[in-house]
Parts: sequence; C-alpha cells; structure tokens
Amino acid sequence: MSHFTTARPRPFLDPAYCKACLRCVEACAKHCITPGSTLNTITGVAPVELHLEHCTGCALCVQACPEPFGLRLDEGMSHLEGEFRLEDPTKLFGKKRVDVVDAPIEPDEQIPLPGCAPLVLKGAYASAIGAVLAGCRHVFGYPITPSTEGAELMAKLMPELGGTFVQAVSEVAAVNMMYGAGGAGVPAMTFTSSPGFSLMLEGISYMIGAEVPGVFVNFMRGGPGLGNIAPEQSDIKLACRGLGHGNTHALVLAPSTPQEMLDLTLAAFALSFRYRNPVIMLGDGFLGQMTGVVRLPPTLSRPGRPAWAVWGDRSHRHNLISSIHLAETDLEAHNEHLNRKYAAIAKRETRAELFRCDDAEVLVVACNTPARMAKGAVEVARARGLAAGLFRPITLWPFPIDALLPLLPRTRQIIVVEASPGQLEDELRLALSHADRVPPPITHVRRGGGVLPQQTEILAQIAATQEAFA
Amino acid sequence: MNSPVFYDHFERHAHGAGLKGHSTHYCPGCGHGIVHRDLADAIGELGLQDRTVLISPVGCAVFAHYYFDVGNSQAAHGRAPAVALGHKLANPDAIVISYQGDGDLASIGLAETISTAQLGLPITVIFINNAIYGMTGGQCAPTSLIGQKTTTSPAGRDRAMGSPLRVAELIAQLDGPIYVERVALFDPKQRVKARRAIQKALRLQAEGRGYAFIEVLAECPTHLKLTPELAEAWVRDQMVPVFPLGVKKDLTVEPWFHCGPPSYDVEKFLALVGAEPLEPDTEPPVPATSAIGDLSLKFAGAGGDGAQTAALLLTRAAIDAGFDATHIPSYGPESRGGTSYADVHIAAGEVLNPAAPEPDILVAFNAPSLAKFAPMVAPEGTILYDGGVITQLPALPAGCRVIAVPFTEIARGLGRPVAKNMVAIGALQGATGLLPPDRFTITLRHLLKDKPSLLPLNEAAFEAGRRAVCPPSVPT
Repeated sequence: MSHFTTARPRPFLDPAYCKACLRCVEACAKHCITPGSTLNTITGVAPVELHLEHCTGCALCVQACPEPFGLRLDEGMSHLEGEFRLEDPTKLFGKKRVDVVDAPIEPDEQIPLPGCAPLVLKGAYASAIGAVLAGCRHVFGYPITPSTEGAELMAKLMPELGGTFVQAVSEVAAVNMMYGAGGAGVPAMTFTSSPGFSLMLEGISYMIGAEVPGVFVNFMRGGPGLGNIAPEQSDIKLACRGLGHGNTHALVLAPSTPQEMLDLTLAAFALSFRYRNPVIMLGDGFLGQMTGVVRLPPTLSRPGRPAWAVWGDRSHRHNLISSIHLAETDLEAHNEHLNRKYAAIAKRETRAELFRCDDAEVLVVACNTPARMAKGAVEVARARGLAAGLFRPITLWPFPIDALLPLLPRTRQIIVVEASPGQLEDELRLALSHADRVPPPITHVRRGGGVLPQQTEILAQIAATQEAFA
Repeated sequence: MNSPVFYDHFERHAHGAGLKGHSTHYCPGCGHGIVHRDLADAIGELGLQDRTVLISPVGCAVFAHYYFDVGNSQAAHGRAPAVALGHKLANPDAIVISYQGDGDLASIGLAETISTAQLGLPITVIFINNAIYGMTGGQCAPTSLIGQKTTTSPAGRDRAMGSPLRVAELIAQLDGPIYVERVALFDPKQRVKARRAIQKALRLQAEGRGYAFIEVLAECPTHLKLTPELAEAWVRDQMVPVFPLGVKKDLTVEPWFHCGPPSYDVEKFLALVGAEPLEPDTEPPVPATSAIGDLSLKFAGAGGDGAQTAALLLTRAAIDAGFDATHIPSYGPESRGGTSYADVHIAAGEVLNPAAPEPDILVAFNAPSLAKFAPMVAPEGTILYDGGVITQLPALPAGCRVIAVPFTEIARGLGRPVAKNMVAIGALQGATGLLPPDRFTITLRHLLKDKPSLLPLNEAAFEAGRRAVCPPSVPT
C-alpha cells in the first residue's frame, strides 16, 4: 500500500451490501469505482468494483452511498474483505460499546395531602383537578363545547405547575401530542366532546397499537354530525366498540357525580399506565357543568419514569414506540398480546354501583347523569313499596357483567335508562349474550337530542312494570 | 466504520435475518439512505446520540427505527410534528427530530406541519421531497411537477390537480422557524451542503434556539422509472427550477425555550385549587336538619340577572352547612344572553337526581321565566318572583305559595341594581327558612375574601331581601 499518496482512510465495501445503484461511480472524481461485472451469489446483483490506485481518500463516494453498511471508510478493516460472515457482525466490527443499561423504573411517589374542607366544583374542573392529582402536567386540547372548562382550567394551572397546556391546531394534532408525551412516559390528557372525540379516533388506535397511555375526557353531546351541545350518551358505542381501526379496546369509565369526575380521572391515569393503554372517561354534557361537593384524596402523585418510555436519554435509548408489525405472524402475536391485556382488564377492573339491588325485582340500568335520575326514581318507587333497584355500570367497557349476574335470578324486569337510542342497552345485551344468559324482559326509557330521561318517566315505567306483575 | 448512531445489526428489520440485518429496506439509489447517513453522522458528531428521539413518519421512512440507535417513535401519517412536540414538551432536553416525506408532511399532515412550525419550539424537521409517493407505489405527491406522470396523474399533473407546493418557502415565511434551507443530493457538492444543513439544524436545537426545517430534494429512481444517475439529473434539471435551492431563512436567536420542571408541591397545589387544610381534629359539618330530604329549586331569569351566581351561592352555603347539594346551569349559547336558569338540589343525605323538572321552589327574575316554569312547580311548592319587574301574572298552579318581592327595586335602593340576586337569596331565606341566615353570610364572606369591598353591599342586599318577606318584628 506504499503507493497511496496520503494516510487518509480509503473506502471499503462489503460486496453483499452493495445494491449497485452506482451513485458512488459518478461521485468519484478519480474514476476509482466502476460498475461491477460479477454477480454476487447472495444478493444477485453485481456490486461495484473499487480500484483505489488513484484514490485520494476524499470520501465523496461514501457520502454518495445510501447504505449504512455499504461504502465505508476503511479504518484498518481491509484485511477482512472477502472473509466477512453475515452471521457474525460482531466478529467484523468488534463488540460495540453497550450503552443500554437496564432502564431503571423510577417508581411513582405518593405525597400526602392534609385533610381539607370539601371543594365545591363543576364536574369539568373536578376532572382537571383529578388529573393534576394524578401527576398529569401535559394537557393537549382543542376547544369544544361543553368541554372547554376543563381545558381553560388546565391552561391556568399547568404553567403554575411547571406543566404544559397546548391548544392544538385540531383534535387530530392534540391526540398525537398525547402520543408523543405518553410515549415519553409522562401522563397526558385531553378534554373533548363528541365531534372532537371522533377526530381523535385515529390517534387512539395508534396509541392502543403502540401501547401508549393517556386519558381522554369526553363530555358527550348530541349527535350525529354537529348535533347540538346538549347532553347525550351517544358515544357509548364509539368508546366501547369503535376506538378507531383494528383490534382496539380501552377502559371506558362513566362517572355520575362531580366527585366521581375527580376520583375516576385520578384512577384513569393509574389504569392507563398499569395497562399501557388509553383510558376513556365518558361524561355527559350535564356532568361537566354540574357543580357539587368534591373531597380531595389523601395523596398527590409524582409520576415516575417507566422503563419502556422513549425519553431521550441513554437508559431509554433502545426503546421504540410503534404500532407497525410488518410480518403477519408478528402482528398476530401482537394482537394476541393485546387480547390477553383486554382479558386481564375485563377480569380485574370492572366497576359497578348497586343501589337497593338486593331484593329488587325491577332493575334499572343506567349510567352518567341519567343514573342519578334513575336513582331518584328508585328511591321514590321504594317509598311506594315497589321493589326497584339501580344497577349502575361505572366501567362501560368492560361491562361489569359479573356484578349483574347474581341479581338476575330475582330480577323480573330490566329497564335500561339512557340518553341515547339504545347504545347502553346494546352493551348490556352483548355482555349477557357473552355470559350465555337469557335475560329477563328488557324495556327502556330512552331520550335524545339533549333531553335526559326524567325521574317521572322512569318512575312511571317502574310502576307500570310492577302493575303488570300484579 | 459506519456511524455509531446506526445499529450494528438491524434487528428490527425482519428480525435481522440474513442480508436484512445490514441492509436498508430502501431501493437502490434512494435518497433516504444518504440523508439517513448524514443525519446519523450529525447526531454522532454533535454528541447527541443519548438525547435523540427520532420520529419516523408513514411513508418510505416508516422504518427509520430499524437503523437509528436512538430513542424512536413511529407516528401516524402526517402527525410526526405533533408527536415530536409531545416528546419535546415531555422532555425539553431531548433532541427531537421529525423525519417526513412529501405526502406525510405536505399533504395529509399540512395542518400539523404549519402549526408546529409557527409555534417554533426547538425541534428539527427533515423533509424528504422526491416529488412522488414512494411507499404506496408512485402516486401524485403535493410536490409532483406539472406534467409529471404518476399512477394517479397518468396523463401528467395539470393545473387542475394543483401546482407543486414549495414547502420550504411556505415554512420560511412563518414567524416560528429560525432556520430553513432547501438542499439536494444530486452531486457531491450538494451532498456536502446537505450534511452541513442537517448538522446546523440539529445544533440549533441542541442550543435551544428554535425550530429548523431542512427540505431535501431526493431521488426516487424506482417510481421515477430512472436509473439513479438519471434520477439525480432529473432532480437537478427538473426539480431545482421549481424548488430553488438555498437558505430560505436564517435568524440569530438567543436560546429561549424553557419548560418545566413539573411541580408537585402540595401547598402550591392546594392554593391553586382553593383547598383549605382543616385543623387535624375538625369534624365535618353536620346538617342542621334532616327535614330536607331532597329539595329542588329552580332559579330563572335573563342573562345578567345573576340567577347562576345566586344558585351557586345557595349550593355552596348548603355544602358548607354539611348538606349535599348540586347546581346545574343552562349553558351554551343560552348562557351568553337570553334566558338563564339553574337547577339546585339540597339533601341531608345524597342528592339523587340533580335536575329540577318539578322544582319545590321557583325563583323567577322576569316574566318569561315565571310563565315558563311556574306550571312545573311541585304541588304546595313555593314561587318567589321579582314583583317589581313582573306585573302581569300568568296563571299559577293552585296550592302554591306565591311571594312577590321587588328584587330589582330593593337593589336599586342600595345603589347597585346588579345586587338583585342577593336580594332574591335573602328573600328566599326569609320566606322558607332554608338554612340559617348566618350560613349565607359565612359562605359569602368566604367567597369574597379576596374582594372584601364587595361584602357590605352583598350583605346589605341579603338582609334587605330577608326583611322584605320577614319584617324584623317577626322572629326568624
């Protein structure tokens, strides 16, 4: 090699990694590289040939090569040419410095709160404060009635708490900011309402696929289309059965008081991180606006850093947030993993409130604000000697069927009360069907368009049912 | 040696089997590979490998995470800048790179592209413009040239399909970005410029200075149906006249971006949400009476009558007194003028139904409200209305207790007509004995603790309302 004019490293090529694009050929001013004439038996293309007698080591050929393992500068490795084994790259390149240490999981910390006088809060504010208590310092959203109070309070609180509120260009952008922040392992959330939730579904599907946590608070309003801004429950189908494309599910929580807006938002973050999956809070328009008594929990959370986070430091460097699995068997395996997770959620996380159900013959099934009207109706019915009870699912997906089944032997009639054309009833019927149970007769009180079922009409239905028994 | 920023073995590329363990998925001669190398070198040379988060798009670069040994996130089509923003805000120390093609960045993700650029947070956007859709198989891109034949412009792109979008110029005219350059790869000189531009863009982010955007005119030999050499010539001769190369914007900006660190300070949190710690042994208040099973009230008036404030004061006073209470306003456009009404429930136990379709008590501030809601009042309920404003009574349900108090007149007498809602609350207390009077004044003082100057007027209005239905000679 004594004829080389300088000591600069020369290009080196492993022929198996040349795709013969020839970009290097015209990059070389000294015409050192020529198109190959011999087919490589592994790749089936003819790799370029290097004739380095006139090479100046300018490296322009290397800069022209699109392949990371294509043309490289030979820093003492030319002796390996021709001896390279595909199976053993470490033999060729040496064992690379291993930067990846076991990623430490910084655990969440619970910081005690003193006992406080109860707060008097709107549901939307209670939810925002629940998120702050959960350690959420990243809120992304787009204004939409009737959810804006949540975003407005967060716009005020976040800067004070070293957090961020971003009013995104759209719900589409907002959900993808959640994908980014959630992928970095920090608790992130949004407040939205039905049309905005529709726009977020693409991102929710990606979050579920990539196992990114995040909390969506959807104050459901009247639809379809622009509908109106009055309360409805017509996103139950969307949240339970239609979270974007593919095999998607997420815990769906249905609060019915301002206190539950706080408690369930707080719980939603923990569940979201426990299962690395989004959690959907379905409120109705009424609930966001309703003011009531709200008591603070005993602790405030300082979230840790999960091992899987794509954080941007050495210990998390090997992590990947992605929902793409190109090989069919890989994607099938991924979906089986998701299915096991859904099954674990269904087994462990269902919640329901049973109000006067013990000896109930007429079971009213309702959630959100209509459940409160139903509760009032049950109370009045009991005062009149009618054996009514309220079964209130708090998780809509998974439906708390295990809490319902023991009540069925005594139940002579189920009345589903909802501000939607049967979406809750569909969930109930599907859950009964999966449980292989033939239910008692099911009737319903359904209102829509922003009209909520009223206590009087629920009561009338209970009374009519009882008369029919007699 | 290849860049240490590339993995030694492309484990994620078909599990690293065979050739795929060391070859990219890109076609021969593709510009992506060159930009990958430039980017990897820049990350390595600036010492950023342990801080970098690379966002891969949907498009041919969807598998960038096969190659780059950095933190990786793969975004939905067009949303990479939003994902990048989420990462940057979660960890401002991270070096976040959004790597996107022309369909991703300039078509489906245009809203995210523009809004993120205008926001100007320090992230780096690498835009590969090869004037065609690669991954989906050669369709028309927003940057395809007029006359360019693609599978979705088989006769050549014409005016009716829109002209090619010059994104670098679009981004440069926004206020957010500090550095915008368009570079190319078609000859060694251009490739050197491209390397420098990419490195500079990253350095500006590492220094916290701002948003940088590098548009790279790249070759797609496969879908241009040209050899790599001819594809280079095509970029040079056909693309460059439409997409002029060069620096479009280069501002000198001092580092400005700060966010966090997140605070979990208990006292700060309590102050922000208005929570007041109790003395350790404080017993929760107990309702003075259990006679209130579940009382429902409706406050109704015109926007500006203060019906909501009155309803909220009552709700708070009841909760402070140990009751459960709820308030639901009418809301939406209605709350911005027109009628405004509020439902309140008070219960010694739990408020079951928070709506008040058949209120026990109606407080009406104007005639339309009285006409609308009086027929709904529960049998033997109470109707309290502004007797100065409502002179023509509608038909009222039999059996109701009906009380007229001139809320507005009394408030005007105190010099502030807007205090009429406090007069109404006073009258409500006087007429029904609902909560002891001092419960209202305690709550009022609490609510106005930051605005003590408003307290005397409100207290006076409350007292005047009470006296109007409950003369001082009669014990309360």
